[in-house]
Amino acid sequence: CHTSGMLTPNGKEYAQKIPREELTHLILKLLQAWKEPLSHFNQHIEHHQELPDDSLSKAKQISNMVHELKTGVEKSMGIISNSLNGMASSEAAGLSISNEANMMSDSDFIHCFRRDSNKVQSYLKILKCRIMPENSC
Amino acid sequence: MKQKLTSPVQIILLLALTAMGLTGQSYPGKPKIIRCRSLEKETFSCWWKPGSDGGLPTNYTLFYSKDSEDKNYECPDYRTSGPNSCYFDKNHTNPWTTYNITVMATNEIGSNSSDPQYVDVTSIVQPDAPVNLSLETKTSASKMYLWVKWSPPPLVDVSSDSHIYHYELRLKPEEKEEWEVISVGVQTQYKVIRLQAGVNYVVQVRCMLDLGEWSEWSSKRCIQIPNGDSPPEKPTIIKCRSPEKETFTCWWKPGSDGGHPTNYTLLYSKEGEEQVYECPDYRTAGPNSCYFDKKHTSFWTIYNITVRATNEIGSNVSDPHFVDVTYIVQPDPPVNVTLELKKPINRKPYLVLTWSPPPLADVRSGWLTLEYELQLKPEEGEEWETIFVGQQTQYKMFSLNPGKKYIVQIHCKPDHHGSWSEWSSEKYIQIPTDFRVKDMVVWIVVGVLSSFICLIMSWTMVLKGYRMIAFILPPVPGPKIKGIDTHLLETGKSEELLSALGCHGFPPTSDCEELLIEYLEVEDSEDQQLMPSHDNGHPSKNAKMIPNETDSDSGRGSCDSPSLLSEKCRETSALPSTLQTKDIRDVQENKGGKRSWETQCIASEQKIVHFNNESTKSSTWPAAQLPNNQPPMFAYHSTVDAHKVTLSTTNVNIAPLLVGNEEKHQSQYPISETVHHDIEKQREMENLHSKTDQITVQVKQNRPNDKSPFLNPKLMDYVEVHKVRQDEEPAVLLKHKENNGKTEKYTVPGTSKEYTKVSTVVDCNIIVLMPDSRIQHTFLSQEPAMETSQNLQQGQAEKNMSYCLTVPSECKRETTGSEYMDPSSFMPSFK
Repeated sequence: CHTSGMLTPNGKEYAQKIPREELTHLILKLLQAWKEPLSHFNQHIEHHQELPDDSLSKAKQISNMVHELKTGVEKSMGIISNSLNGMASSEAAGLSISNEANMMSDSDFIHCFRRDSNKVQSYLKILKCRIMPENSC
Repeated sequence: MKQKLTSPVQIILLLALTAMGLTGQSYPGKPKIIRCRSLEKETFSCWWKPGSDGGLPTNYTLFYSKDSEDKNYECPDYRTSGPNSCYFDKNHTNPWTTYNITVMATNEIGSNSSDPQYVDVTSIVQPDAPVNLSLETKTSASKMYLWVKWSPPPLVDVSSDSHIYHYELRLKPEEKEEWEVISVGVQTQYKVIRLQAGVNYVVQVRCMLDLGEWSEWSSKRCIQIPNGDSPPEKPTIIKCRSPEKETFTCWWKPGSDGGHPTNYTLLYSKEGEEQVYECPDYRTAGPNSCYFDKKHTSFWTIYNITVRATNEIGSNVSDPHFVDVTYIVQPDPPVNVTLELKKPINRKPYLVLTWSPPPLADVRSGWLTLEYELQLKPEEGEEWETIFVGQQTQYKMFSLNPGKKYIVQIHCKPDHHGSWSEWSSEKYIQIPTDFRVKDMVVWIVVGVLSSFICLIMSWTMVLKGYRMIAFILPPVPGPKIKGIDTHLLETGKSEELLSALGCHGFPPTSDCEELLIEYLEVEDSEDQQLMPSHDNGHPSKNAKMIPNETDSDSGRGSCDSPSLLSEKCRETSALPSTLQTKDIRDVQENKGGKRSWETQCIASEQKIVHFNNESTKSSTWPAAQLPNNQPPMFAYHSTVDAHKVTLSTTNVNIAPLLVGNEEKHQSQYPISETVHHDIEKQREMENLHSKTDQITVQVKQNRPNDKSPFLNPKLMDYVEVHKVRQDEEPAVLLKHKENNGKTEKYTVPGTSKEYTKVSTVVDCNIIVLMPDSRIQHTFLSQEPAMETSQNLQQGQAEKNMSYCLTVPSECKRETTGSEYMDPSSFMPSFK
């Protein structure tokens, strides 16, 4: 996966040790890293005639969701102040990564995306329970 | 000629036969019964071998007979056991009989039957061979043995439980010839020891029932006994699981160990790394497992896991197993499942089911999010109802049936990829039946209320049944003959009848007026003459004619005698003229009236006497009259009315017999008071009193005017029987007898009226006579015009006048004719 290079905590303890902001950053970085490959992927599969229409619309939906998630995380974390700096670097990093991503096969792509989305979900959950522990934590 | 004919026929036949012989068609050959066999002593089959079929299609039929019976049966089933067979099922098989079986082959030309075969079922029992033979080598205590298993032969149509088979096993090394036979007994498995290693064995098994023959040997099974020096078999990794997304365990299954003790090692490597590690912990999770603790668990990394089996000879490696721990999470089942019954006010009680996540799962930090699912069913139910609950750890149950027992289970799963946990232990819910208490109370109240209502209704029905019925179903009015009461005719005594007929015409209604019965009153006093003639509007009383009964008062019929008074007091008959439609009520009232009348009688007597003293007129007459004149104009008076009778006429509330018009009646009294003198009053009195009587006394005369007709001080005629005409028109001539001088005029024979018709007999001693209208004219002509009333009376000659005649009292009450009086006889002829 093109995001394998990113240093992300591999377990619960590691994830809990990381300070909040860094975790948020990480999440955003991940989301950002997938923005471009997703759109590329969507373009790619549109030409696939074997795939049913559901899959195409689903893929589009997913990329939208990723984008929305990123925006939401940014907003909720109030990252705006830092974002300029952070995002600039991540943007650059993202670009190089995404080039790599374009060369993956479809199955690898999906496999990597599944993993990374799971990562993001877990990190977000940890964050949520750290920030607001009363809601079902 | 014949001979000539037959010989050609014979020749032809011979030719045909030879032709047939040449072509090869003949009757079939003799079939032969090959074998009969029973699988289990309850059914059996027989097979035969057909002979030649003679070139034509042949039918085979099997006949059998039992023991020494003569009756032949045919085979019940030709199909089940295949071609040329006969299958005898359970119903056709008797184990202790000998069957005599023959097979007959039939074709177009003829038939041929086999030799008979005698079959005794018990002697032909041979089961099928056992099935599902399986072989397995096992090692115990470093020794190899062979584990042989099989199943008994399957049986159709019969339960196999009752059959006990004895088994026999044989095995030999493949290359050898001699079998080793082992008797097994009734078991379906056997452990073979003393095996040679490295040899390929062949195994077979057969069975037998307690009687009969051994089955055939089952199909062969081969097995290779592993050599003592072979490397272990390849192990297989069964599964890897993480219970809480922090650690995980892998299990494998070892293969055969090749005769030597084998070691197993688990090796793994992570994605992106070349390093191979060995399992950190072989023990924690049990045998043939590897436990990866937190330190050794990495997420979002793919592990490549293999297991190696090693023994002295060699080793063997399992296939690699790739696993990402994130996706193999299977939590433990939830714990602390509790039930709580909540009873909020003004709402139905409900159950709250709560549970806790499994202890190891770290839900608090959000690392693992679990989703829960319930499974619910009533205790006796078959199917579980699954309810997805989500991430909450409680569930409210509203719609459970009270009194029933439910079983509930919960399990959980990570919200993302993962698998469901095991179900938690069953929790029993007993819905308390007090849910129903409210309903029961309601039902009890409803039941009590309704029974109460029913009671009340039945009670009212009983008490006022008649009224209710009359109210709901008004009685069908019978034909209303004015003045006649059919019911009275039926049930009443003749006196009542008569009294009803006329005497009650107190309040002169239109109906009353129709009763034209003149009262001829004979009085002592001078005033009493021909009153009826000018007092048209007044009712007249009937005089009771008692010719044979006289008292000291002359001129008075014995009707008036005091002695009669008491009699009348007692009698309660009513005249039939008082036709009443209100039968029931009248009867009641009659009865009541009777009683009251009796008292009234006495009272009236007294009153009358008192009254008489005041009167200037013939005092005796009214006195006498009164009691006699009870013929109550109203045979029916209500008991209420009875004690309302007073001297005051205004207060009388009389229910008239003929047709109630109470207002009218009431008006009579004042009128009569003014019009008439004492006599009228007396008469009123009498009538007032008499109205409560039920004695039929008088037939009143209907007058068309509104004055109470009977109040007219009409002359009460006490007539003497003048003579009885016995000619073709028998009639009774009655002589008007008057006390005063005027009466003489009346005694002119011509003036006597002839009465030919008997209208009614009342009460055994009163006959109501109807005058014949033809004779009236004589009366008319001879009567001087002395009295206008008389003239009027004459003018009213068409009126029927009826007289009371007393007849010997032996006669019982009789009513003449039908129960209906001819109303025309009562119709007033005058305007």
